[in-house]
Amino acid sequence: MPLILKGVMQSPVTPLKDDFSPDLPTFEKLLDFHVRTGATAISWPHHKGESLNLTIPERKAFAEVAVKTVAGRVPVSVHVSALSVEDSIELAQHAQKIGADAIIAITPYFWSPSQDAIYEYYVRLSKSMDLPIIAYNSPSYLEGIEFTGELITRLLENVPSLVAMKEASFDSAKFLEISRAALKVRPDFSIVAGVEFLAPSVPLGCVGSYSSAGGICPNLCSQLFDACTRGDSVKARELQFKLAQLWDLFRDQYPSSLKGGMVIMGRPVGPTRPPLPTATKERQAFIAKKLEELGILDTEPHGW
Amino acid sequence: MSTFTPGLVHAPITPFNQDRKIDYAKFEQVIEFHIKHGAQSLAITMHPGESVSLTDLEQRAQFDFVLKQVNGRIPVLAHVSDSGTSIAVARAKYAEAVGAEAIICTTPYYWTPPAAMISEHFSQVANAVKLPFFLFYTPDEMGGIKLSTDQVLKLVEQLGNFSGLIDASLDWQFMINIISNVWRTKPDFQLLAGNEYMVSSGAIGATSMISSLSSIAPNLVKELYTICRTERYSEARKAQEDMAALMFLLKKYGFASLKSALVAMGRDCGIPRPPQNQLTQTEHAALAKELMALSFMNNEPKGW
Repeated sequence: MPLILKGVMQSPVTPLKDDFSPDLPTFEKLLDFHVRTGATAISWPHHKGESLNLTIPERKAFAEVAVKTVAGRVPVSVHVSALSVEDSIELAQHAQKIGADAIIAITPYFWSPSQDAIYEYYVRLSKSMDLPIIAYNSPSYLEGIEFTGELITRLLENVPSLVAMKEASFDSAKFLEISRAALKVRPDFSIVAGVEFLAPSVPLGCVGSYSSAGGICPNLCSQLFDACTRGDSVKARELQFKLAQLWDLFRDQYPSSLKGGMVIMGRPVGPTRPPLPTATKERQAFIAKKLEELGILDTEPHGW
Repeated sequence: MSTFTPGLVHAPITPFNQDRKIDYAKFEQVIEFHIKHGAQSLAITMHPGESVSLTDLEQRAQFDFVLKQVNGRIPVLAHVSDSGTSIAVARAKYAEAVGAEAIICTTPYYWTPPAAMISEHFSQVANAVKLPFFLFYTPDEMGGIKLSTDQVLKLVEQLGNFSGLIDASLDWQFMINIISNVWRTKPDFQLLAGNEYMVSSGAIGATSMISSLSSIAPNLVKELYTICRTERYSEARKAQEDMAALMFLLKKYGFASLKSALVAMGRDCGIPRPPQNQLTQTEHAALAKELMALSFMNNEPKGW
């Protein structure tokens, strides 16, 4: 299906059984939940989906379920970033084989790659398969490794399949550096915000977000995007403030607090794999209290 | 607490003679230029004005001179930051005595004190005066010294004259956390954009902006600010993109580009004091050419 990135796109968490093994039936329910509650695309497994704590065979198995379950209702992209670039290439090729609509890939981990090395990486990914590629910029989690305007220009001039970027610097200067460089080469290039930072970025041309809190409060996420696109700045600010409180709640021990919150919302998705902690009963109670204070329990869907 | 709203704050440069002394004849022209071109307040003297390269006596003399020159036409905010708490305190008291409208202070230069001592620094400066106190947060310029949300919220609680946060961190979550929490108890607490990225900051609550590029492109600065103050952030995108183009251009050539650009605009204010270098002839020519190639610069005043 054509890849149109717009609105609140969901990157599901990864359901696990109590023994930490993959829970594919719950994953199917979660995918359905997201599509039913307004997801405009599915993208899995972002870091929120514990990507780096899953084996490559596990990632392939989940990806297959994602494509099969979503069944063309919205586009599905597969996040292929892995510690080893060789694994990323394999996951990208697998994504194409199973019928995914795109892949998404962050700058390589650990090695603090140079701008040239990042360039070569995306070129190689693009040559390894035919799917559209969404680049992923996240300097705060990667010791400052990031895209510059020059790098994105060079990539767009040479890699036709690079169609979008998840821009998670949360910084207006970086956003404008990238968008100005990218749109000059490719006016239809899409820039997607990380988390739900839509009020500060939609006016600058951001097309939507990869949601953090979508498993908890899909209504709130959609309302924020709608307020931003219709230019209702006062409403957008109010909703953005609320989502910022949720982001503070969930980014502490991310994504285990998110999984803890999903228990409260009647959509349990199991524990979080070490070295990340699993939300304790006390943590869950704290999250429940916060969700109640924010009115989430009354305004968002409970259960599947 | 004061309800003083700085609005569009121009941050002038400091003109120097060939013998590196402050050129007061030029400074008079600078101040009049800003008042004529849309300044609702002046901030004397911010980092682009080389406050850090001025002696304590020179900074005090600037307060005297500017306040006399402005003669009550618009408010003047005094930037009093220094390494030593007692030095900043004394400068703040001086600014109050000679008629400044408010005090601006950032984290101490060079030192990396524990959080409690940074709070102590701000407390002593704020407590030294009755004027509104604005905390200037610019971690990238200040060796990465970060303030936590809790630390700032505590200061707001403790300091009756703490009137606003000037943010140059561009950290959306930080800004939201401060302003959304403070507004519950102090609805007239203000968020000020510490540079010209007004769209994102405005969308999440900034109502004032401090601009050093008002020296170069005051019309664009005013347009950007004015549209943002009507909360039509998407309509401000063009102005924000133009602003970013100017910011990126000056950043490329380094700090001395500001004064070099002033020469290009027909407002020669000399060169920066050491340890800042001036641009070479070749660099200056290249900058001037690129500056004039920005189409929006046609709308900007040439000369005084």
